[in-house]
Amino acid sequence: MKSLRRFLSRLGYFVTRRRDDERLREEIAEHLALQTEENLRAGFSPVEARRQAMIKFGGVEATKQDYRAERGLPLIENLLGDLRNAARTIRRMPGLAAVIVLSLAIGIGVNTTILSWIQMILFHPLPAVSGASNFLLVEPRAETGGYPGASWLEYRALQAQLSALRDVVAFQMVPFNVGEKGQTERTFGQLVSGNYFSALGLQPAIGRFIRPEEAERPGTDPVIVISYDYWQTRFHGASEAVGQKLRVNDRELIVIGVAPREFQGTMLPLKFELWVPATMTPALLGGTRDLEDRTSRAFSLIGMLKPGATREEAQVEFSAAMAQLARDYPDANSGIGGDILSFWEAPRGPQRMLISGLAVLQGVMLLLLLAVCGNTANLMLARASTRQREMAVRVALGAGRWRIVSLVLSENMLLALLGAGLGATLAVWGTTALRVAPMIGSFPILFQTRVDALTLAFAILLGAACGLIFSAAPALNLARLDPQDGLRSSSNTPPRSRARKVLMGVEVGLAMVVLIAAALFLESFRSARQTDPRFRPEGVLLAAYDLSGRNPNEASEREFAARLIERLRSLPGVEAAAIATNVPLDLHGIPTRSFTVQGRVRTEAGQDRAISNTVTPGYFKVMAIPLLEGTDFAEMRDKAAPAQAIVNEEFVRRYLNGADAIGRRLQTRAGSLAIIGVARNSVYDAFGEPAQPAIYFSYRDVPWDQGQIHLRTRSGNETALTSEARAVLRDLDPMLPLYDVRTFSQHIDRNLFLRRIPARMFVVLGPLLLGLAAIGIYAVVSYAVARRTREIGVRLAFGATSARVVLQIIRENLGVIVWGAAIGWLLALAISVHAITKGVVNLPVFIGVPAILLGVATLACWIPARRASRIDPMAALRHE
Amino acid sequence: MVLKTLHVLGPLHGYGIARRIEQISGDLLAVNQGTLYPVLLKLEQEGAIASEWGASENNRRARFYRLTREGRKQLQAETKDWEQTAAIIDRFFEAKAEDLS
Repeated sequence: MKSLRRFLSRLGYFVTRRRDDERLREEIAEHLALQTEENLRAGFSPVEARRQAMIKFGGVEATKQDYRAERGLPLIENLLGDLRNAARTIRRMPGLAAVIVLSLAIGIGVNTTILSWIQMILFHPLPAVSGASNFLLVEPRAETGGYPGASWLEYRALQAQLSALRDVVAFQMVPFNVGEKGQTERTFGQLVSGNYFSALGLQPAIGRFIRPEEAERPGTDPVIVISYDYWQTRFHGASEAVGQKLRVNDRELIVIGVAPREFQGTMLPLKFELWVPATMTPALLGGTRDLEDRTSRAFSLIGMLKPGATREEAQVEFSAAMAQLARDYPDANSGIGGDILSFWEAPRGPQRMLISGLAVLQGVMLLLLLAVCGNTANLMLARASTRQREMAVRVALGAGRWRIVSLVLSENMLLALLGAGLGATLAVWGTTALRVAPMIGSFPILFQTRVDALTLAFAILLGAACGLIFSAAPALNLARLDPQDGLRSSSNTPPRSRARKVLMGVEVGLAMVVLIAAALFLESFRSARQTDPRFRPEGVLLAAYDLSGRNPNEASEREFAARLIERLRSLPGVEAAAIATNVPLDLHGIPTRSFTVQGRVRTEAGQDRAISNTVTPGYFKVMAIPLLEGTDFAEMRDKAAPAQAIVNEEFVRRYLNGADAIGRRLQTRAGSLAIIGVARNSVYDAFGEPAQPAIYFSYRDVPWDQGQIHLRTRSGNETALTSEARAVLRDLDPMLPLYDVRTFSQHIDRNLFLRRIPARMFVVLGPLLLGLAAIGIYAVVSYAVARRTREIGVRLAFGATSARVVLQIIRENLGVIVWGAAIGWLLALAISVHAITKGVVNLPVFIGVPAILLGVATLACWIPARRASRIDPMAALRHE
Repeated sequence: MVLKTLHVLGPLHGYGIARRIEQISGDLLAVNQGTLYPVLLKLEQEGAIASEWGASENNRRARFYRLTREGRKQLQAETKDWEQTAAIIDRFFEAKAEDLS
């Protein structure tokens, strides 16, 4: 209480900055006057009386100082003083300060950006849903270890039995064809359980959400909830949207409400626009038995833990429930267990891949920041030594060690926090860069990343940590200073600064690791752009169609594809046309399939697998993949030919030891096929991948309800075909939209999107780091040289050539640099071999990066060394 | 000591307090008088004393300090504390070896 009152009073002084030194001065004057009178009475001479009074009073200045210390908040006043001083100092060295602040800002900005991505995936997996990280995935697990999803009936059983989870919700993703005949649009939606919105704790922007009873009886409630964006773009945000009809998969649904602004569904990072009760499934997807078939595992389940319940309890309950289901329904459920998973462990979606990739990126970037810190420490150390005299004066005038340390610290902290502030700004920009991500594959994707309190705190923490790291050395250095030494005209016996050299070595080592990482990354990205995919993407237009909403069967699917190809081939400008189920270089990869082939006996356990793609005749012509042996598939309407397959070279090499493949039988789940051709290897999943075995199936034998149209035309002319292709499809079925239209080059670019972001980061950061390393080395060497001016003068006077002097200086410094570089190089090599390329060493990178780094380092040594060697020996000896 | 002085003599200026402490202690406590002022400030901030300008004996402006109610309470508490401490110390000095055996 007392101390609080005292603090408030002090604070008052501090805030109002009342300068009433006047009061104390008057009091002291009065005091001395009274004492002098007293002394006069005691018989002293006037002069002596005053002298005695002064003696009795003690040091006036010391009293004043104590008084001031009592009055305000000296700690904060000192700090502010330090900061003012720091600001002055920084203004006196704008160049150095700019280098430091900018390099820190970039280091911190990049780290903060990456953290904001990571935290989005970890903590905000469901935008607009509060407490989203409390939601857990409820995933049935098949015997093979995969997660096949849950069936609707399973969901109903689990919902009743999992008491540790509040309101388990179910949803599945469906592409809808929305709109009137002839102008339908493919839009992604989710079929959801009745408790979906209430369990997520959402409030509608307008209207209402789906009620639980609306998802009870199949097909009775044709209602739909639309996303905020959809409302804005299709209904212009009008409140009359509620109650209007929307034609979805040729059924009329009534819009009942609009989801909150940022809500994008429950499968990050996909963005959904429509939500329909799951009980509408049979009405919208003709022929599905999703609601009654226990083997149709189409739904994903999530649930939030009840307060007090643990994940372990939920897991136990879930396992018990799944075991019970396996006993009750052995046909559909035997062998199926279940796992409770966190969102980032989601078996579907890119979370897992993103998290591990981002973790690596974050690690590299933290190393980069550490290198920046090392560099800054070195610059500061070099600067600190030029300030020895200033500090010596301060110590001589009575500044304590701690005051010196806090002075240096506050200077560096100011720099660091400036850097952090700028870094946070950069991070804001960096996170929005990810927000504008386009559709990836055919899926609409939205990352709602943002800089929030946590990331901001991270930025400031990083800044403070950096400040501490790089002020430690200079602060200690200056605080240990002996004022006598410092004031003496210095530099007669320059102390060799071990700290500086070690820092220089460390910095070069860190720079080496980061630069190699950057180079490896860029190299893989560059090779991705330049490697020959072994097919010809130029001049190919891609577009997709989907019959799944049209109640197709095998015959109608085959017939549709056949007619589509015929019509497309007849278009002017089209050189070749084909349909395939998969497009190479897709973000999610091409599925593989297990098989057995005649003439191969597998010795080890497991199954042979190969990339599988189902294509129409003409595919190889469109893709410009030559058939090395055999012929193309039989025409679509050919009913006589037996089931056919075409394999690639790698398949023949790996599974048939290069023996003749034509005519051999291939057995897959789809049945028995005859190999009729061998195609050249091409790239399937990623540029630079090792050759993969592949099997092409014929659309004629295994028709699909979805297809990717491939059209070859004159290169550069692809997009001109878009409207004609659309017209063809509309002619064949007015309810079908043509979607995901893109040239093959766009397709490739888009799928490199996630790799392009870090690649761009490294393009900026690599040279920056190299520049910083050069500045750091330059500063250290030129400082060391400046302190040895006299020594160098003596050498020159005794006849050393300047070349020798230069060589010696370079040799001395390069020794440390090479050590640091070598350690960094080995570290990078170890990481690369063990973690990234798995044994393959990218020689150009591992030779080129050190060469460049050492070249730059040598240059940074050479410039100051050369300057030193040019000095006039006489001038140097007279120096100081 | 400052509080007690003010308690006994009523409002007083800095010099007066210093003189008084000197007199009572019989010049045994000859500290620098200057150190008194920070102490006064601290007490004032704590609310134990209050100060205002007034005229000194020879009609010059001087700052007079007086005890507040808070200060009186504090004085009482501290007096009690001190008496206790003193009593304990006293007992230690009065205790003779034979008392303990």
